[in-house]
Amino acid sequence: MNKGIILFAHNSKEVDYSVLSIIAGGLAKKNLDLPVSLITDISTIEWMKESKIYSIALSVFDKIIETQRPREFNHRILRDGVESKKIPFINQNRSSVWHLSPYDKTLLIDTDYLIFEDVFKSYWQLNLPFMISDSIKLVNGKIGVLDRWISDIAPRLFWATTLMFDKSDESKIYFDLVDHIRENYRYYADIYQYRHEVYRNDIAFSISKHIVEGFKEDLSNSLPYILSLTDKDELIDVKSDGRLIFLLNDEISADKSFLSSCKDQNVHIMNKQSIVRNKEKLLELI
Amino acid sequence: MDDRLKKALEFSNYQNALSVQRQLLKEKLNSSLIYGYNGGIFKVTESLISFVQFLIDNDRISDIPILDSNSNPILIKDMKEFRDSILNVYFTVVVGYYSEYEKIKKNRTIEKLVEL
Repeated sequence: MNKGIILFAHNSKEVDYSVLSIIAGGLAKKNLDLPVSLITDISTIEWMKESKIYSIALSVFDKIIETQRPREFNHRILRDGVESKKIPFINQNRSSVWHLSPYDKTLLIDTDYLIFEDVFKSYWQLNLPFMISDSIKLVNGKIGVLDRWISDIAPRLFWATTLMFDKSDESKIYFDLVDHIRENYRYYADIYQYRHEVYRNDIAFSISKHIVEGFKEDLSNSLPYILSLTDKDELIDVKSDGRLIFLLNDEISADKSFLSSCKDQNVHIMNKQSIVRNKEKLLELI
Repeated sequence: MDDRLKKALEFSNYQNALSVQRQLLKEKLNSSLIYGYNGGIFKVTESLISFVQFLIDNDRISDIPILDSNSNPILIKDMKEFRDSILNVYFTVVVGYYSEYEKIKKNRTIEKLVEL
């Protein structure tokens, strides 16, 4: 059985997902010692060529799989520390990974999830068709209701930041249902009482899991929780030994922040722009 | 600003940073204590180690099913080998945790604490 890691990258004007995917993919390849492939579109590939990072992409990725770019109808707020703006959010084709992955068993990760330790090594051997992380933990210790639940009356929110699946008919059911939920997102918003304005894969996968697993909360196929920084926090420096330095936003007093750091730990840095600002130093680590 | 308040706020910032760094170390400890065996996922804890030793002491040493962290029954073919593996995981991880914990305890400024 061949195993591998997959990332999606569809660039927008505001966020260079291609460079994020090279960093996250490069770290995953180095620290998990497995092949990594990228699913992307022609305009993102052209951008990589233009910005002269395509040769790095070729060295990092086992395969660069071209697919159609989803329509940009989804918009969300992009926060970068205290700054914020509304941007297109191209995330609607995540469920196609089941068909596009070249691996028998795949770990799908977000491009803002940086892997420094192999917490997944014990999970590859599990005979489970579909696994997803059941929670996040924020570095600053705070966590909101909507980080835990789909809505205040709905089941648990699972985090599609990390997914592991095989190519069985059983796992396909989860992904096919995610497609159906995405196409009927507003209908499911009425049932599960979430805000439908922005399509979120976390919600679609959580509902799919809820339905497929008999409308019950099943944690037996959970991946490890995701240690996260919010988009109000910033990655401000990367040391040559791999230590990441953060400026954490203080939830109580918005104008206040404090320093933190971590090393050899997987971390989900939602402030993507702060990853891009540190790209040179991060690329040196891959 | 009153000097007393300034010092208190500086110390509060340090305490905040210290608490986050300790929490991060705990997260690292927790994820490193996960051990996969024969299709099961075990969190290596003192109680797991004691339970496994208890089974060995009572001659339950081969082909014994026990519950993993997700309450799935997992067959342990060789209990002694399993005990040695989880002990090895436990001590490797906890020794690393101890040395990192001692390091942050000694750092009395935020800059040193986060290794800026």
